[in-house]
Amino acid sequence: MPSFVLSHTAAVFPLHGGGVRAPSEVFAQIFEVFLLLGTAVGVVVVAYTMYHALKYRDDGGADPYADKVERPQMGEMPTGGSGGRKVFYSFSISAIIVVSLIAWTYSQLLYIEQGPDPAQTDALEIDVEGFRFGWEFAYPNNHTTNTLYVPQDRVVRLQVTSRDVFHNFGIPELRVKTDAIPGQYTSAWFTANETGTYEAKCYELCGSGHSLMIAEVRVLPQDEYESWYNGTEGSTGSGNQTAANGTETATESADLAAPTASAAPAATAGGVGA
Amino acid sequence: MSHDHGLPPKSSVSRWFLTTNHKDIGVLYLITALFFLVFGGVLALLFRLELITPGADLLGQMGYNQAVSTHGLLMVFWFISPFAFGFANYLVPLQIGADDLAFPRLNALSYWLYLFSGLLMGVSFFQGTTFAGGWTMYAPLNTPAYIPGEGLGATSVVLALIMFTAAVTLGSVNFLTTMYRMRAEGLRMRDIPIFSLSINLTVWMMLFAFAALLAALMILASDHILGTTYFQYSIDGTTMATDADNPGASLLWAHLFWFFGHPEVYIVFFPALGVMAECFQTFTGRRLVGRKWFIISMVLVAIQSFVVWMHHMFLTGINLPIKTIFMATTIGISLPFDLMVFSLIYTMAKGRVRFTTPFLFSLGALILFIIGGITGVFLGAIVLDYQFRGTYWVVAHFHYVMVAGATALFGGLYYWYPKITGKMYNERLGQIQFGVYFLGFNLLYFPMFIAWETPRRVFVYPESLQIWHSMATVGGFILGASFLLMFYNLFVSLWRGEDAGDNPWAYATSAEWAVSSPPPLENFPGVPSYATGKLEFLDDETVAERTERASGAGHGHAATDGGTAADGGAVTTRAAATATAMEPAHETAGEEHASHASFWPFLVSLGGFVTFLGLSGVRTGSVVYLSMAAIGGLVTFGSLFGMTREPFHAPEMAIAERWPFSSVEKMKLGMWTFLASDIVLFGAFIGSYAFVRVAYGWTAWHHDLIPAEHVTMPGLINTYLLLTSSFLVVLAMVAAERESKRGTVAALVGTFALGVGFLINKGLEWQHLFHIHSEAFPNGWNLSTNIASSTFYLTTGLHGAHVTIGLIICAYMAVRAWNGAYQGDDRAIEYFGLYWHFVDIVWLFLFPLFYIL
Repeated sequence: MPSFVLSHTAAVFPLHGGGVRAPSEVFAQIFEVFLLLGTAVGVVVVAYTMYHALKYRDDGGADPYADKVERPQMGEMPTGGSGGRKVFYSFSISAIIVVSLIAWTYSQLLYIEQGPDPAQTDALEIDVEGFRFGWEFAYPNNHTTNTLYVPQDRVVRLQVTSRDVFHNFGIPELRVKTDAIPGQYTSAWFTANETGTYEAKCYELCGSGHSLMIAEVRVLPQDEYESWYNGTEGSTGSGNQTAANGTETATESADLAAPTASAAPAATAGGVGA
Repeated sequence: MSHDHGLPPKSSVSRWFLTTNHKDIGVLYLITALFFLVFGGVLALLFRLELITPGADLLGQMGYNQAVSTHGLLMVFWFISPFAFGFANYLVPLQIGADDLAFPRLNALSYWLYLFSGLLMGVSFFQGTTFAGGWTMYAPLNTPAYIPGEGLGATSVVLALIMFTAAVTLGSVNFLTTMYRMRAEGLRMRDIPIFSLSINLTVWMMLFAFAALLAALMILASDHILGTTYFQYSIDGTTMATDADNPGASLLWAHLFWFFGHPEVYIVFFPALGVMAECFQTFTGRRLVGRKWFIISMVLVAIQSFVVWMHHMFLTGINLPIKTIFMATTIGISLPFDLMVFSLIYTMAKGRVRFTTPFLFSLGALILFIIGGITGVFLGAIVLDYQFRGTYWVVAHFHYVMVAGATALFGGLYYWYPKITGKMYNERLGQIQFGVYFLGFNLLYFPMFIAWETPRRVFVYPESLQIWHSMATVGGFILGASFLLMFYNLFVSLWRGEDAGDNPWAYATSAEWAVSSPPPLENFPGVPSYATGKLEFLDDETVAERTERASGAGHGHAATDGGTAADGGAVTTRAAATATAMEPAHETAGEEHASHASFWPFLVSLGGFVTFLGLSGVRTGSVVYLSMAAIGGLVTFGSLFGMTREPFHAPEMAIAERWPFSSVEKMKLGMWTFLASDIVLFGAFIGSYAFVRVAYGWTAWHHDLIPAEHVTMPGLINTYLLLTSSFLVVLAMVAAERESKRGTVAALVGTFALGVGFLINKGLEWQHLFHIHSEAFPNGWNLSTNIASSTFYLTTGLHGAHVTIGLIICAYMAVRAWNGAYQGDDRAIEYFGLYWHFVDIVWLFLFPLFYIL
């Protein structure tokens, strides 16, 4: 088992176009290891349980352990049985597996939390605002859409909030997800290595239209994205954007205090891209 | 023995309304919980049918949301815990050697509050729409602004939950007092059977966790009914995140809810673990391996359960250090369960394993729990948790854990059915039911792991996952059908079953199996004792002998007539706790027969039901609702008063093991435990205030939200008034001790006057603030003005309600003192004093928080 884990840790940092390891790969790798190990542990423990249950079943004959063990008596003061040492051995093994697995994932968590080094990646910053029942995306030029357009192979940083109730923004295929909480900002990042159309969904019950609260996500080749983005310039933007072209780094997760007003999305619902 | 206890026979319907006997109440709990299982189960089948195909063509969008929300609420609150507490009621006194619970009428009151809270939940379906915001009730979807229509059904659900929580809190106080004061001689805490131990830890968790939930629910009910704005982040209509009126609203609910919600997982699972351990011991013919470590593991989990809640909130933007801490505590809390699982597995070694129905369910529960546990470790890895959040992975995981618990409890039903009914069911049919159940369970929940990408609580999912959802639906119906077998089997066996005898199971050891099936009304043929290391029943002579020997140690008090207390219709449940904790206790150790019948608990709960139903609609101004609230309040008040005046004998045991509370009298212990939960209640209110204030900005809060007219002076005066009144209660005790009737009455009247002064002063202050006309607050500063006014009025209002209840008790005691009560025995005054001092201390926290800082 350890060699298996090692072979995976060796492959922790395969570089992709854009030089950034996508969250979806991090997830896929950890999930795979957990699935394999979890299944193995599950099979072993359940089999072990069944083995005990069947091996020591009462076949109606005489008690084969009559002279070895003392059976519980009615009205006795409860005490423990023998065999505590085996419990501890098994417990220790299980504890080692669990703790080492989680410890291994912790380094990956740090990567997901901090994101790729901002100096190396020219992140695109997009504000996401959830509402009943849809999503609004605000780009650095203040342009807003209800479909999320992002370039391929570029780190996208999302600042997510809600204008009404508690939502949760997730794009399952790209393995990005974060809560959309009214009055708060949370952040998340992802990169998409493949162009195509994906879905963003709401993962927190938000009312009658919750099931249908789906937004389209279009991952475009970089040049196509640029031309789309340039076409939006000035169409709805106020023009005094300080965070133009995503050079401003996102602040740490959700500060209780809201970020600067300039980063706030335009309040107009809908948008040109819708 | 069945004479003069005032209880009709079991065949009579009236018995079931009157009974305060723990076994009867246990049976009532079991049947009621099974009813709610069917209720919640049918809702589940409805939405599983909906999910056969993607799209809301059966229930409609809101219908679907209502079904999933109420399914969760019913199963978690009204089925699984009460089902476990059916067994706890029936068995804990038997297992520890007690005649009944410490406060039998309080126990009946718990049951009736539970039943009526469930009925109120049922009524909510007929008030337009019921609650549709998920069982986690996230804010602000849980506030009227986001509830379609009038939203009265949702308010009823919140009130029903409050009523349920009241039942739980009274039950916790009762069980803790019982277990610490009424164990058979020689039975140390660690020696009580593992099921009773699991209940002990469960009620400890309940006492604190449900107090936090109560705070959350009271605040939510106030948002619904009184118009406070705790869970509304936008009050003036602007929805910009940068300009929120109450930016902490959503997260406040999440914190309060999960602070309760995670211990709740163990509250649900512990009794099941206890049942599993009992069944494993009996049906393997082996003692629990590593029993000591099993118990230590449970204690660790119970304590640690209060520091893992934020793992439900990993995506809410909490920072990395806190995430790391909660990841560590989460992994830490999973490890003791590994030990318990292995302990159960090794208990089978060298055993005589018999695959009876209860053992099959226990073994099945263990296997399901192993799967639930392993899939839970996935969630402990935060990177995975992020993606599992809000998906079917979570749904599948917690059903494998929680329904594994229910599986063990069904095993418990088969295990103790012969004890409870005296009859044996059809064993073959029981085993068949297990087969169908186990198949249905796995067919229902396992495909959810495969279809885990489906978001929770949606009726739309990708076509590619349809096969798994259809499979789950089929599994759901198979699981449901298995219960028809169980109900048939258990129902028919009531008449056709063979007599089970005292103990149908070889190797059962605990005391419930040493008495007849069903056990006699007062449980044991003599006084149970483990003094020799083995269960014996002592005759009266031996008891008398030992009592005399122990009398120096302070056992067997003289008769107390410490009757006091009554109610305050407004906060009925709090009052009920106080009233019953002070019920007249004629303790003439064993001389008089214990009482077993009282109609008041039913009436109090009925009154509470009508009151709450009325409250759910008062905001519409409807006469029907208003009069229901008024009439219900009167009934509650009247029956609480009746309950206090009713002579009811619950004798303390002549000899009992009472560590670590041997010197704390029964009522006092009850009062202490009750106040412990009250501390958490106020703690949650104060914590909520601090949380929303920090979220808003601690100093900006004062500047933006609080009018200049809100001055310190009224609070300062009130501080002096309360402190002085506390001093007077002490004087009343001293006077009673010295048998000075005039002194006692004077001190109590003085206390009362100062308390009334406090309320008048507060009333004047509020009146003034309501009607100020300043530039910043042209329309006064009332409950709905802003989040600061909401926190101020609600928190100090809760305190004011405590003062009011105290004053009613105080007035009642003053009248009794005038008639000559308490002279030479100041204990009743002491209990009241404990409460009163507590209320004062709370004020000492509230005053600086709301007037100075």
